[in-house]
Amino acid sequence: MRKGFKPRKPRKYVGTYRAKIEGRAKANGKTEYLDDIASGLRFPGLLHAKVLRSPHPHAVIRSMNTEEAERMEGVHLVLRYDDSEVAALKPTTNAWTSFNTVGYDTMYYPTYRDRKILGGKAHWVGDEVGAVVVAETEEIAAEALKRVEIDWEELPFVLDPREAMKPGAPVIHPEINPAGNTLPPEPFCGPDIYRLRGDVDQAFAGADEIVEASSVYHYADHGCLDTRACLMMWQDDALTCWTNLYQADQTRMFIAQMMDLPLHKVRVICPYIGGSFGRGNTGDQGYYIFTAIAARRARRPVKFKHTRWEDFHDTRNGTEWSVRMAATRDGRITGCSFYGIGDAGAYADHTVAALKYMSGYEIDECLLAHIPNMRMEAYAVYTNKIPGSCKRGIGNNQFNMTLFLAVELLAERLGMDPVDLAIRNFGHEWEGLPNRSVAAVLKEGAERIGWDRRPATGRGELVDGCKRRGLGFSLHDGWHAAWQEEPRGMIQLGLRLNPDMTVILQAPMAETGCGSNSCAVWACAEHLDFIGVPPESIKWIEKADTETGYKDMVQTDSSVSYLHAELMPEAAARLKEKLLVMAAAKLEQPKEGLDIREGRAFVKDAPETGIAIRDLLWNETMLPILVTVERMPPLEVTGVPYEATFAEVEVDVETGLVTVTRIVQLNDCGTVMHAAGAEAQQIGGQAMGLGEALTEEIVYDEATGIPLNFNWVDYQIPTMLDVPPVDPVPMEVWEGAGEYGACGIGESVTTCICRAVANAVYNATGARVDSTPLKPEKVLAALEAVRHDQQPPSGEREGGR
Amino acid sequence: MVEDASKVRMRVNGAWHEFEIGRDIAPSETLSRLLRERLGLTGVKVACDQGACGACTVLMDGMAVLSCMQLAVGADGSDIVTVEGLADDDPLIEAFAEQAEPGYGTALQCGYCTPGFVMTAKGLLDENPSPTADEIRQALSGNLCRCGCYQAIARAVQRAAAGAEEVD
Repeated sequence: MRKGFKPRKPRKYVGTYRAKIEGRAKANGKTEYLDDIASGLRFPGLLHAKVLRSPHPHAVIRSMNTEEAERMEGVHLVLRYDDSEVAALKPTTNAWTSFNTVGYDTMYYPTYRDRKILGGKAHWVGDEVGAVVVAETEEIAAEALKRVEIDWEELPFVLDPREAMKPGAPVIHPEINPAGNTLPPEPFCGPDIYRLRGDVDQAFAGADEIVEASSVYHYADHGCLDTRACLMMWQDDALTCWTNLYQADQTRMFIAQMMDLPLHKVRVICPYIGGSFGRGNTGDQGYYIFTAIAARRARRPVKFKHTRWEDFHDTRNGTEWSVRMAATRDGRITGCSFYGIGDAGAYADHTVAALKYMSGYEIDECLLAHIPNMRMEAYAVYTNKIPGSCKRGIGNNQFNMTLFLAVELLAERLGMDPVDLAIRNFGHEWEGLPNRSVAAVLKEGAERIGWDRRPATGRGELVDGCKRRGLGFSLHDGWHAAWQEEPRGMIQLGLRLNPDMTVILQAPMAETGCGSNSCAVWACAEHLDFIGVPPESIKWIEKADTETGYKDMVQTDSSVSYLHAELMPEAAARLKEKLLVMAAAKLEQPKEGLDIREGRAFVKDAPETGIAIRDLLWNETMLPILVTVERMPPLEVTGVPYEATFAEVEVDVETGLVTVTRIVQLNDCGTVMHAAGAEAQQIGGQAMGLGEALTEEIVYDEATGIPLNFNWVDYQIPTMLDVPPVDPVPMEVWEGAGEYGACGIGESVTTCICRAVANAVYNATGARVDSTPLKPEKVLAALEAVRHDQQPPSGEREGGR
Repeated sequence: MVEDASKVRMRVNGAWHEFEIGRDIAPSETLSRLLRERLGLTGVKVACDQGACGACTVLMDGMAVLSCMQLAVGADGSDIVTVEGLADDDPLIEAFAEQAEPGYGTALQCGYCTPGFVMTAKGLLDENPSPTADEIRQALSGNLCRCGCYQAIARAVQRAAAGAEEVD
């Protein structure tokens, strides 16, 4: 048994090593996901919808003949793009919100309403256009789609964002920007130069050292096992939607607003979800709408489900970041100028937030706050490829990839240890330097990986005759402290204490695997300890349901693991108050003179006089006691904690193969809500991050604009053999606000691994590969460049996108 | 031997089922689909439908197979075990459910891959009751866990194999 993490404040349930509440039901296959529920066995007469997907990267439907498809046996209907109801649908985005529920008029990026649901123009190979077939089986629907005859007008297309920015490039969304493919600035994320502090030119003029660095972070698929799907069923004029995107309340609003339905006529139900990692991010997918229209016309329940190919539906944004960094001789970073190009793909979605909001607000406030002169400029650009959106960590991974290349190069130039350089410069604006959390994660990581044995650049120890060993690290800020969750608005929670002292807990959320349901249950038990309710006596309501439940907390990030817990003290206090009133009446004592401990109400001055709560409930009213709490998260601004990744690699200098041999992942969590769950996130984040670092890559045929590897044979997700031992280190250094003062870590665990690996490769061999993934051919080319002493400058891109 | 070419018979979790080709099942129907959609055995998950992820793993005549890559008609005469066919106290189910020791994380997060891992591990332990850590990693390398619980999964299998014995 390894030594476990020791919490700062030991608690009975929260912060311990415990099995997840639904672990057994997941291990024995009883947990029901959408695809298990949405079956013909449960919904007799279930029909299946399939949408036509564009075979062209950029094309317009001139005309379409669906007669043969409509005549096929088993086909119920064909919904066409020129149908009057479809054609009248408002233009929309797949980025209405990230946290709260918004309407059509209050969506985050009204500037970018570039999506037409089932439109007549395709913007990427895979775009949902033209027709939806509803049939008895998926196979019939798929066959019928093949019989739809379309006269396409193929348009010139562009895949590379730099090419797309040039004058004369085919304009992809003239309705958004008639002059080119750069997304126009909008109010939420600000102008093109969106961050300007101090005098950057002056900082460079007076600098002792200036380094320049650039890197390209590739797209990456979420790869959830549970592919996106929905089931739509009408009963008269009321619609029920079963979904596996994690935002039931927003989905309800989206459907209601797009279809002009009152909210009480739309019910959205979300069961357990098989992974999310930011996919889609919001409940605003076009397929809800065309499936709902189809179901109303077919007068039967209709299911729509992605195949694996189709589930390559949106990705992490491919992004190129460059930085110029100025510093003094003694290692003080005095100025930075960042320039970013974010590949939006075919639709804007969350690209601008990934690019500008994350860097300009969160990273600048929370990591770069002590750098006096700052300039950030970035452009999101349309291309005819899979849309970029959110993936675990949204824009942070891309930014970190460049920032900590610059730190590595600057440290080398200054003759400093990059760990010391990071401690010297990075922190949030609400604490001075050095930041305690930064120093803690970096020192602990350096100690565990054996940083003092790090070789000089390019001089990694030779192992097995052909491999060089090196070390690298990267650092990033956490960004899901309670105060940063203000946009979520009110959080809702309900408790029902049954007369047998069991509890029904309504902490609504779609559980995607993060363990927030377990954390809510344990926090509930923690605060109901005064009446002796253990976790086993608490039933968490596992489906988010907009008709029977409160508003679900959007499972967009791992702050959900503690935000319900933050409401528990108030819920417990209200419950206690109700019980005291009942006990006072029963005991004929003034309420103020009573207390409750260990499940018993008693007179404080005469503890022998009292009554067990169970007797109070069971023998009297037999009614459950209800408590509802609705509150904002604690909003006191407390800064954020930090996380770091240290990696050891072996680079085969003959084949270019990079093998990561060890990882140490450190997260200051503020408070660890679930020790085993936090470690699972830390370990699992490396598996996902290593895929992005080494093997995962969406490959396009440049001649045709066709994606070549939308499948899991050619898109290579790490297996058990590909992931080295990970040392997970949850820590509690920083203190947040509220009862727990925790911070989500589920996104940040993927942020640093790519740069840590790339810096370790550089450390081992002197070869720089500054684009992900670090494939052997890129590494070999970089090794060759080192051999010829022609290391390309940082700004030059290696490999292609 | 197929006695009646128009019918498929198979034993699933101990009970025999018969399907008429053309009426009950299509000749092209996969075993995973039959198990899920005809028999309601939804512990069999389908995630890639091309044999790349292992989520649909079942035991077929004692061997762990990918049920999305088997035609239902090809399973005629076979003995199939899905996760639903394991005992409630199967050591593997216990081990996957309970894994929470320091340094490994939990053996499941979203849980979609878990029944597939359990069945692959079942096939391994039936054949090799005391596998080494390396044998476990090799045997489970055809299953994908996107949440990345590999470290804990390997540990859970090791624990299930060891039974009451201590695992270092």
